[in-house]
Amino acid sequence: MNHFPQAWGRPRDDIYGHYNSSYLQTANPTQHTQSPVVTGTSVVAIKYKDGVVIAADNLASYGSLARFTDVKRLRKFNSSTVLGFGGDVSDMQYLDRLLNDLDVKENYSHADDEASQLSANNLHTYLSKVMYKRRTDFNPLWNHILVAGISSESEPFLASVDLLGTTFSSPSLATGYGAHLAQPIMRKLVPDEEAVKGISKEQAVDVVKECMKVLFYRDARSMDGYSIAVISKEGIEIKENEKLENQSWQFAERIRGYGTQVN
Amino acid sequence: MTSIGTGYDLSNSVFSPDGRNFQVEYAVKAVENGGTAVGIRCKDGVVIALEKLVTSKLMKPNANKRIATVDRHIGVVSSGLVPDGRHFVVRARAEAAEWRKIYKAPIPVHSLADRVGQYVQAHTLYSSVRPFGITAIVGGWDSETEVPVDGQVGSGPSTGAGGKKEGGKHGGPFLYMIEPSGLFWGYYGAATGKGRQTAKSELEKLDLAAGTLTLEQGVKEAARIIYVAHEDSKDKEFELEMTWISSLSGPTKGRHEEVPKEIREEAERLAKKSLDDDDDDEEEEKKDDKMEE
Amino acid sequence: MFRNNYDNDAITFSPQGRIFQVEYAQEAVKQGSVVVGIVSKTHVVLAALKRNAEELSSYQKKIIPIDSHYGIALAGLASDARVLSNFMKQQSLASRLNYDRAIPLAEITQRIGDRAQKNTQEYGKRPYGVGLLIAGVDARGPHLFEFQPSGVTQEMIASGIGARSQMARTYLERNLDQFEGSGREELVKHALRALKDSLSQDKELTVDNTSIGIAGVGEDFKLYEGAEISSWLETTFENKADDEETAAPETMEVDS
Repeated sequence: MNHFPQAWGRPRDDIYGHYNSSYLQTANPTQHTQSPVVTGTSVVAIKYKDGVVIAADNLASYGSLARFTDVKRLRKFNSSTVLGFGGDVSDMQYLDRLLNDLDVKENYSHADDEASQLSANNLHTYLSKVMYKRRTDFNPLWNHILVAGISSESEPFLASVDLLGTTFSSPSLATGYGAHLAQPIMRKLVPDEEAVKGISKEQAVDVVKECMKVLFYRDARSMDGYSIAVISKEGIEIKENEKLENQSWQFAERIRGYGTQVN
Repeated sequence: MTSIGTGYDLSNSVFSPDGRNFQVEYAVKAVENGGTAVGIRCKDGVVIALEKLVTSKLMKPNANKRIATVDRHIGVVSSGLVPDGRHFVVRARAEAAEWRKIYKAPIPVHSLADRVGQYVQAHTLYSSVRPFGITAIVGGWDSETEVPVDGQVGSGPSTGAGGKKEGGKHGGPFLYMIEPSGLFWGYYGAATGKGRQTAKSELEKLDLAAGTLTLEQGVKEAARIIYVAHEDSKDKEFELEMTWISSLSGPTKGRHEEVPKEIREEAERLAKKSLDDDDDDEEEEKKDDKMEE
Repeated sequence: MFRNNYDNDAITFSPQGRIFQVEYAQEAVKQGSVVVGIVSKTHVVLAALKRNAEELSSYQKKIIPIDSHYGIALAGLASDARVLSNFMKQQSLASRLNYDRAIPLAEITQRIGDRAQKNTQEYGKRPYGVGLLIAGVDARGPHLFEFQPSGVTQEMIASGIGARSQMARTYLERNLDQFEGSGREELVKHALRALKDSLSQDKELTVDNTSIGIAGVGEDFKLYEGAEISSWLETTFENKADDEETAAPETMEVDS
């Protein structure tokens, strides 16, 4: 007689043969998300002397399928901050709701007063704690986020936080493919904080648009419809239905895999 | 109150032989001496006004706001024990946040009143708590148009399934008053606190049920009613606190906000003027029948 | 003898709608030694009278710095103030950790107010027996808040709580108009004079029994005691001998 709990209430091996124990619950570790599902690609952002410019395209991919083409990945938070989300779209929606709740709560104590509203650096710190907590629970929110806005010291602010809770700050930032393809272009313009002071809004917007174009040329999960926002002390200008202009695919003619040249 | 001292009034949740819960009745007494609060449900919004008695000169003027926001579109004011009013608001905000977590949308005003009403009622059921020493006025605006779901990321396909039926009536202004027993009714005009009797009779003159009073007029009436209700305790100084919620096309875009200073001051000026006029009228022994402006 | 049945706990209303236990807790505040607070456009000052049990013993702490931008002064049960101040310290650190932000004073005051309210509505608890003045500077500028055992919190221009504090409040009301434009040093003087007005006749403010807390725009909250405050005491009271007599001496001795 087998007294082990696994055998309780089960047919006896000596009569019915070996019981297929693969049906039994095995004590596996709890598993959470192992990969993102519906994803957004790069977000690019750059500081200029009075603020920050940030952009992301409007595509949400389901694997390699271009599933949703009107997805707004730049999310506004109060009057001084815009967040750009790369990575899982439903996790972005979760964070968006989390921040909406935060905004509602903030309004309870100081609706009438700009000075004590959460500024971009406050929000970035908060998000980094949320992301780090989730990765520590082995249940990460699968995003790479850029926080663009105005800091408590009324300076342009740009920083990132990723699914591990890693934070990073620089005069220009890009997530995903953009980190490889857009960053070098933007860094040429603003190699360091000092250089930011010499950059105008127009220069910043131009380089971001250039980056979006390069990304569309080379990133197969990107799209030519995008959103762009300019955040300054005067407030937030956000355009959500932009189209890439002046594309030139000439460079592609000699490259295998592009356009008509399939092999 | 003949049964006072018979022992049935010493604990909450206990009925007296004639079927009363005395602790709830005593809680109502705590309300009766608070500053007057009124709410008016207008055609295109809701006004909330409060007579905030100044208990000390040392208090910072125009600070210490007592009308609270719940979510973005609801205002709450209470008279009675001020800290109990805070407790009420904290709970209301928690309910609104919880609602959003489930439905990804703002809580309808009626649902909020219902939920906090249940919470207040629960405080009459147990001997381990006491009832709320407040009567609360809850006013808000439910969006009359389709609002994006929280976290909405795009608009989806413009054709195919999921289309909305045109022409349905949604949203609008709502106003409720919740008593220490947890009982609540919907109102066209609600008043509580010390001057509630005066305020109620003034509200009745407005014929609010007709649904013609505009928010702009409502602000003026609310200010006037607070001033009229204050006449009985004229020796005490007070501040008028006033908030409103308009329709999406109105001045607050469906949000609960403080009435802008200029508009409030204008309303106060008119209120004082109409009081002076009334005084004159009384001397001439004339009835007041020129309420509308 | 008349026995009040409605004052056995904090969750029973009297027929008049009063809660006696809360009212009694307010009395405990009046047993504590006096503390005063004043706010101007740029600064906020706390001043407190410390008591010692006997001549050779140390003095009871009256002003507690909480975070770098604010502190509190207490009147009443010091142990209750410790509970509340520990809570405030935790909340303040959490705000800095999670949001990289100094907690707004209105917010922290509201939180202890809400906490105190719980003690007046749930069985098995008692109200806090302490009143607090919360003073400091946040993104909106300098603030002074008053907290009472009932859970009532109010933002004040000036305030005095504790034994014989009515005399301090009378001084404050009389000089109310001057505070807003006052500088740091003037504000300290006003606070000390208000404090002095509520002392019993045989008492004086000394470097041993007086505490001062100051915060300002661009100036962290700091507690000043002992030798640090001697010059303030000297400059405030050098030629104020005349004024002292104008304040009517209180007959009842509440302090000790």
